[in-house]
Amino acid sequence: MKEDLMDIICCPLDKHDLDLEVDERDDEEVLAGSLVCTECGESYPIEDGIPNLLPPDMREDAPA
Amino acid sequence: MGVLENKSRARTFYKYLSKVYDRVNPFIWNEEMRDEAIAKLDIEPDDHVLDVGCGTGFATEGLLEATEHVYGLDQSAHQLEKAYAKFGKRGPVAFHRGDAERLPFKDDTFDVVWSSGSIEYWPNPVDALEECRRITKPGGRVLIVGPDYPSQSVFQKLADAIMLFYDEDEADRMFEDAGFTDFEHFIQQNRPGSPKAITTIARVPE
Repeated sequence: MKEDLMDIICCPLDKHDLDLEVDERDDEEVLAGSLVCTECGESYPIEDGIPNLLPPDMREDAPA
Repeated sequence: MGVLENKSRARTFYKYLSKVYDRVNPFIWNEEMRDEAIAKLDIEPDDHVLDVGCGTGFATEGLLEATEHVYGLDQSAHQLEKAYAKFGKRGPVAFHRGDAERLPFKDDTFDVVWSSGSIEYWPNPVDALEECRRITKPGGRVLIVGPDYPSQSVFQKLADAIMLFYDEDEADRMFEDAGFTDFEHFIQQNRPGSPKAITTIARVPE
């Protein structure tokens, strides 16, 4: 994801701002890292450059 | 409650559907119908457009012809793999994984929010429509394409069992409940006898 996406994305649960924690980036994009809600603390992964902003109950590892 | 009105079931369903989706879909919703709907939105070249439930990227591709600022969101990794194959993960479309009923975007972000072929799988469509309204700028447009409620009773039974279908009256109720006051519906059909699509364009209050 491009870093300027931070201007428009928010926590899907409470709509508060997210903090970007970068683990890996190239010249243009953040490839791996986390998006952490400044209010509730929920952390959303960036996986191969794609932000996974699914609420935690909908992630693959969530119980059905 | 239909069998797909459960998010983990929908995920499983889409895992298999994504294998055939672009081959099945044109019988119901083809490029001509898509482009007719896009034309009604009067998208400007610098408009920012979100495709909610973009899936394999069929509508996304049409939207990219109207503006280069296109964003895609889908819950299904398997559907998105098909979209990545078309556009690349770091190509012209900014992809996200997310839930239509709990959108991860700030208020008043987009000029146009589009969703085609997704509303029938939303457990609470009014919640998702409210979210679409919230993230669209005042004066912006929300366009939703869904399956029109079938007129023959055998298909009605199937429709009731599997997913949400709705007619114009039901669409009126959903959009009003979601806080829209200015909207219109139109019906599209590939050819006589094939399933109909109901398309609603709603304008977000100023």
